[in-house]
Amino acid sequence: MLTTLATLATFALAQQTDTTVPVRTGARLEVSNFGGEIAVKTWSRNAVRVVADHSSRDRILVDALDQVVRVKAEGGRRGPSQVDYVITVPAWMALSLSGVYTDIKVDGAQNEVRAETVQGEVSVVGGSGNVSLKSVQGSVTLEKARGRIDLNTVNEEIRATDISGDIAVETVNGDITLTQIESANTEANTVNGDVSYDGTIKDGGRYRFTTHDGDLRVSVPEKASVTVTVSTFDGDFSACFPVQLSRKSKHRFDLTIGAGSARVELESFNGDIHLCRPGQVMKPEGDHNHEH
Amino acid sequence: MKDQWTDRLSEYLDGELAGSERTALEAHLASCGNCRATLEELRRVVGRARALDDRLPTADLWPGIAQHIGVVSLAARRARRRLSFTVPQLAAASVALALVSGGAVWLLGGRTHAPTATAATEVGRRPAPLINASAYPTDPRYAAQVAALERALQRGRSQLDTATVRIIEKNLKIIDRAIRDAQSALVADPGSAYLNLHLAQEMRRKLELLREAANLAGARS
Repeated sequence: MLTTLATLATFALAQQTDTTVPVRTGARLEVSNFGGEIAVKTWSRNAVRVVADHSSRDRILVDALDQVVRVKAEGGRRGPSQVDYVITVPAWMALSLSGVYTDIKVDGAQNEVRAETVQGEVSVVGGSGNVSLKSVQGSVTLEKARGRIDLNTVNEEIRATDISGDIAVETVNGDITLTQIESANTEANTVNGDVSYDGTIKDGGRYRFTTHDGDLRVSVPEKASVTVTVSTFDGDFSACFPVQLSRKSKHRFDLTIGAGSARVELESFNGDIHLCRPGQVMKPEGDHNHEH
Repeated sequence: MKDQWTDRLSEYLDGELAGSERTALEAHLASCGNCRATLEELRRVVGRARALDDRLPTADLWPGIAQHIGVVSLAARRARRRLSFTVPQLAAASVALALVSGGAVWLLGGRTHAPTATAATEVGRRPAPLINASAYPTDPRYAAQVAALERALQRGRSQLDTATVRIIEKNLKIIDRAIRDAQSALVADPGSAYLNLHLAQEMRRKLELLREAANLAGARS
């Protein structure tokens, strides 16, 4: 009974705002949302449509200036609001999205994307130029992006698929999975988690993958020209193709494939390091050795 | 292992080698994995330095850090026009960069509890010793930065969600464990470039997480 009353009260207070504003080419979107969700999708119109589900006590402000559209909620004396936004923007629009207890989803972006939250997931499809996604307590997922990619969380996993450009990925307690990557410069670090990389190794490229407690699985294409440095304190190394190792020190050795022009650094203090061919590096779903 | 070229890598990176020396070093690099790796580490440290915000901290923390860990100051190195790094020094520089950038961000962020930096110290009197990075966590500069950030986090703790605080503390413990593991390993193999750099990386990561958490708490207060 109490639940029913609470539900009815919630419905009674719920309100939806639906506003559409025209935008000039080159304008960017800035959304700040304390709690709830920011979902951004794209269309071909030069306009921004904001649909917000919120409490009737909140007011949704859509401030359309020359070069920026700002969206936020005003909750008055009650303090920060909880709002679920669905925002439709031109695909060319740059996005700056932030929140605290907020999930952020973007689909179809073709320009820069910056998304930051504390307790929430960040999931983006698309993006080019600077793409920076950050959470503290939520997973970060990126697909189909190109440019300078910066993905960061603390206590969850990071996944990036079908990405091209310079890539920097870091978490503390979570796995990192990079697939279908086209990059000459990639760095991925975690402390407690596995790192998987399935992508190109370009001539002259630089790649660095590190973990403390976890395994590394990295693909090296058959015709790659690469020098691989493997470092581990208490782990094993294996490769699914013949390699010639040259030991450099107690915990570090090199192997060279082809002319060795690219450089790959693989470091796992406690875990195993595995080299494979593209398409062979991903572990079966559910095969996780680490408790996060 | 150190060879005749190890100490010339910084000059090479700075474009200060004569043509013949440069050619000889490049030929050496083609066959020496150690030098290539050291050069790469050096490039990374330099890259990090370039990526730092150009703004200067209100107090320069570097001279004190440099003196303590035995790294010759930048001014002294410029005066001698000769840069030479050992791997542990590179690791130290890496951590020190994190300290300096952390200090800069922190001080410029209007926080008032950052550790006080000492005035420029006498450097270059003694040759830089080959230091062991396992001593860094007891370095007073590092400890002071960590303590200052921990205090800031403690002050702002009430502004953060308890779940967020738990997550941050849990992850700091994970990093601390990694630091301890690296320190223990270094006891048995103090000259290991990998272990020194691994320790430096984890120390830097701890500073960065603390800084982020403190900023988060500060932003909410």
